[in-house]
Amino acid sequence: MIADRPAAMRPEIALGRDQFGRFIRWVVALLVFIAGLGGMGLVELHHRLRASEHALAAATLQVPADVSDARLATVMALLRQTPGVQSVHLVDPAETARLLEPWLGPAVPLDELPVPRLIDLRIDPDGGTDMAALRRQLATVAPNSRLDDHLPWPQGMRAAARRVESILAASTAAALVLIAVSVAFSVRANLVADRSVAQLLHLLGAGDGDIARWFAIRSLRVGLEGGVIGAIAAFVAILALSGAGSLVQLPAPGVSHGVADWRVWAVLGGTVAVAGLIAMASARGAVRRWLARMS
Amino acid sequence: MAVVELDHVGKRDGIGAPILSDVSLRLEEGAFYFLTGVSGAGKTTMLRLITLAERVSHGTLKVFGADAAALDRDAQAALRRRIGIVFQGPWLIDELSVHDNVALPLRIAGAEEREIRDNVGELLAWVGMAGRAASRTATLSGGERQRVAIARAIVHRPALLIADDPTGNGGDETAVLLVHIFEQINRLGTTVLIATDDGQFARRFEHQRFHLDHGMLSDAGAALVQ
Repeated sequence: MIADRPAAMRPEIALGRDQFGRFIRWVVALLVFIAGLGGMGLVELHHRLRASEHALAAATLQVPADVSDARLATVMALLRQTPGVQSVHLVDPAETARLLEPWLGPAVPLDELPVPRLIDLRIDPDGGTDMAALRRQLATVAPNSRLDDHLPWPQGMRAAARRVESILAASTAAALVLIAVSVAFSVRANLVADRSVAQLLHLLGAGDGDIARWFAIRSLRVGLEGGVIGAIAAFVAILALSGAGSLVQLPAPGVSHGVADWRVWAVLGGTVAVAGLIAMASARGAVRRWLARMS
Repeated sequence: MAVVELDHVGKRDGIGAPILSDVSLRLEEGAFYFLTGVSGAGKTTMLRLITLAERVSHGTLKVFGADAAALDRDAQAALRRRIGIVFQGPWLIDELSVHDNVALPLRIAGAEEREIRDNVGELLAWVGMAGRAASRTATLSGGERQRVAIARAIVHRPALLIADDPTGNGGDETAVLLVHIFEQINRLGTTVLIATDDGQFARRFEHQRFHLDHGMLSDAGAALVQ
């Protein structure tokens, strides 16, 4: 009749309904909402910053068609020596023709047209390339050449975006710490009320490990439920803030990946998991400590 | 065989006078005892020692033949599962139904749900609470709560049954019902110990009595053993 194996009963059968669970659930929901918003904002900003840096990193130099091969070689050498320039690629005429075909059609003899020579550059965004100086030098070596660096993103703006990124990261981290602290406190407050239940179960012959486990499972559930509510709210809020368009868009170069970005899900899922685990560990620790004090 | 054996047991809490001093007694298997004494005489402390809720300060306590001081926490829990207790207050979990409260000792012991249903149903009928199985215990009267507590104490057929001051709650009628229920359980072989500060009440039944006076087992009390 009396088994020695540990009791595998559900927490609500052992502990009764959780009186404070609803309160804790909403505390967790609110904090996960805040952390989730910060985290998703961080992902979005980071992504956009990357995209803009990518655009900045590419530049194209157009050299007039009539320039001599020797001059072209000088231009190439100049570019290679310029600080921050990672690679220099002279686009050959056949490739240029392929690029122009959609506009001019296949029949146009390119040899007879003054098609400029194209040089693709890859530039390290942090390499300190002085584009103005490069333009001046090019003007003397190859007059009438044109340097397009696509996105003249001001360096100051970029630094500002990086600072905002750090601030977002710090506040997301702070929200996560806050989840840990407040969940721990709420669970602890809850457990003061549950203490009598823990004592009763102890006297009825439940083992320490079982009692701690029942409380831990119940807290884990409350933490996860609150976390999921907060994560859904954060997701909906982001969706509303950024306009449904950008978030549900399919991945495309240079455009935010939105919901398709695994990092959005990682941030939300991670926050929910952290909330649940903290709630669980905090309940388990508190119950273990009381039981140890009971003879 | 002695179910419980106290050998020169003392219990001291802090620096004041000891709560129990030099108590020696044996509870024999299948016997029925009353533990009498005024409030503060040390009855509850003695019950807490026997149920392994506290440790002795001096002397030796053996429960089911095992030295209480030598048991680890899991072994203590296993021994507690062989004891049924009716606490001084009914001490129910108010968020649970009557059924789930009574089922607790069986669930803690890992019994099957089917067995739990049968046993709890039978027990609730026996204490006259069959119709209230699904009720929350918070909605019950004092006497009904006491009867639920009795059902919970005996549902797992414990080898030792202990009641702490059952006359203090739910009135005389409930106390008499409790003794009658305990007498029936006792006939099935369970050792019973009922603590009460109502010596008159205890004398109404033909059972052995221990008397505690200022933490000591009085000779007069021992002489009452029949």
